[in-house]
Amino acid sequence: MSQQREVAIVGVHATKQQRNSGRSALALIQEATNAALDDAGLKMKDVDGYIAFTFEGGNGSGVNEGNIAHQFGQPIAFTAQISGAYAVQMAAGAIKQGYADVVVIPAAGSTTLGGGKAASYTRPEYEFTEWTGSMTPAQFAIIARRHMHEYGTTIEQMAEVASRIQHNGNINPEAVLFGRAADTPEKVLNAPMIAEPFTRAMCSLVNDGASCIVVTSAERAKDCRHDPIWVLGGAMENRATSYFEAPTLDMMNSRDKMLRGFQRAGIRHEDTDIVMCYDHFAHGPIVQMETLGFCKPGEGGHYVPEVMGLDSKHPICPDGGNLSYSHNMIPYNFKQIEIVRQFRNDVPDLCPEGHKGIHTYDRRICRKVRDPKLAVGAGPMTEGRHGFVLLAKD
Amino acid sequence: MEAPMLIPPYPVPSNLSQPFWDGTRRGKFLLQKCGACGAYRWTPQWLCTKCHSLDFAWVEASGDAKVYSFSVVHRPPLPGFKAPYVVATVELAEGPMMLTNIVDCDPKDVKIDMKVKVTFDKVSDEISLYKFRPA
Ligand SMILES: [Zn+2]
Repeated sequence: MSQQREVAIVGVHATKQQRNSGRSALALIQEATNAALDDAGLKMKDVDGYIAFTFEGGNGSGVNEGNIAHQFGQPIAFTAQISGAYAVQMAAGAIKQGYADVVVIPAAGSTTLGGGKAASYTRPEYEFTEWTGSMTPAQFAIIARRHMHEYGTTIEQMAEVASRIQHNGNINPEAVLFGRAADTPEKVLNAPMIAEPFTRAMCSLVNDGASCIVVTSAERAKDCRHDPIWVLGGAMENRATSYFEAPTLDMMNSRDKMLRGFQRAGIRHEDTDIVMCYDHFAHGPIVQMETLGFCKPGEGGHYVPEVMGLDSKHPICPDGGNLSYSHNMIPYNFKQIEIVRQFRNDVPDLCPEGHKGIHTYDRRICRKVRDPKLAVGAGPMTEGRHGFVLLAKD
Repeated sequence: MEAPMLIPPYPVPSNLSQPFWDGTRRGKFLLQKCGACGAYRWTPQWLCTKCHSLDFAWVEASGDAKVYSFSVVHRPPLPGFKAPYVVATVELAEGPMMLTNIVDCDPKDVKIDMKVKVTFDKVSDEISLYKFRPA
């Protein structure tokens, strides 16, 4: 099938990602939405679609389409509750069908105010989960250890993956762990043990921050400020609810569905550049590259460290990922946003003239990928819900 | 090795799961068995996850399982858990996967594929938790 260029990402924004912002998720989401629309050259009055996870908050600070519509004084026609790659694909579908013309996809989390209990969804008050003491790292550690058992994946390979991603965060001034990320395998392995086999440096961050993506039609994109970033397709599959069912490697059974997503878009894996994996934990990119079809099941431990470097075939998480850039509890949009920023050559790092788009490609200070044109933005990509979107520039 | 010490809230049974918790309180390990295809399932559901029949009965299961995978937790999520402790997915002899704790052994001795047996931990007059120990 031919690649269709009908729908595009035209605006993106991420607020400052930080711990203890002192601001509510609603306040952060409004800032991100305004800024992403400004980036697109659009106004809230242009928006008629809204896709975001909703959650309650005290004092009217709940994040939901009704509150957003009311506060911005802008009626919204199309709404859905999801984020990241799923949301971009749903926006594309809604735009192609005419349900909406301009869709905003905001996401925010705040540990300090509103929408606030620190990732409380990861410890559901569920009668068969909570009492076991299986908080998030333990849930995914069970999966990582099974992958090690079945395929011979090693803790050193996972540490290599985590350290390479954290190297990118270490030189990203916008990363929560800028300048202090665990950027060598030794640092990763020597960090405090949280839930075997994961040390703290193999677990994602918990911080505040917001993001927003603006999606519109090819026609509308012509009037926008930046060149369109095309949404070429992708795939989605749900298999279970994380934290409710016992964690297993079942997600790997989504591989066929993911492969069909590439086929439908007419894209070969080998032609993609950046791959934004969902690096919630160090095993994530290994299992996901297998599930996305970049390598065979079980090969990820060897394959991923070989291809993920900034100068290698498929640079993974050049922003520093959830491990060191940001995990604001709803971090899926960051995957698409980093692709857009790499495509646009808007990549803050330590290059002296990086802010002018002049990069050194000296990997001690530079995290700009060379001339990316086609990329994979994955996430949500946990154990129950898997999806990715294919993005391209002209 | 001690089991994790818990603070309330303990599990709150639903009208679906009440028979299960009634069982653990009496030292019985019950699972739902499909009335149509005979499949066992976990977690409790109103329909058979294999054939979608709504017909089921709670039957006593063997309590036998093997460790599918596990993690030794060193930093508990909440006060009241005493680290280190073992969280595991076990594969029940009847087929379903179950999240639980492995107790009555040193966490260092837990291995994947290890045979384990259910054991009950009474935490209140209403609730006895189901955990697994080396068989
Ligand atoms: Zn059945």
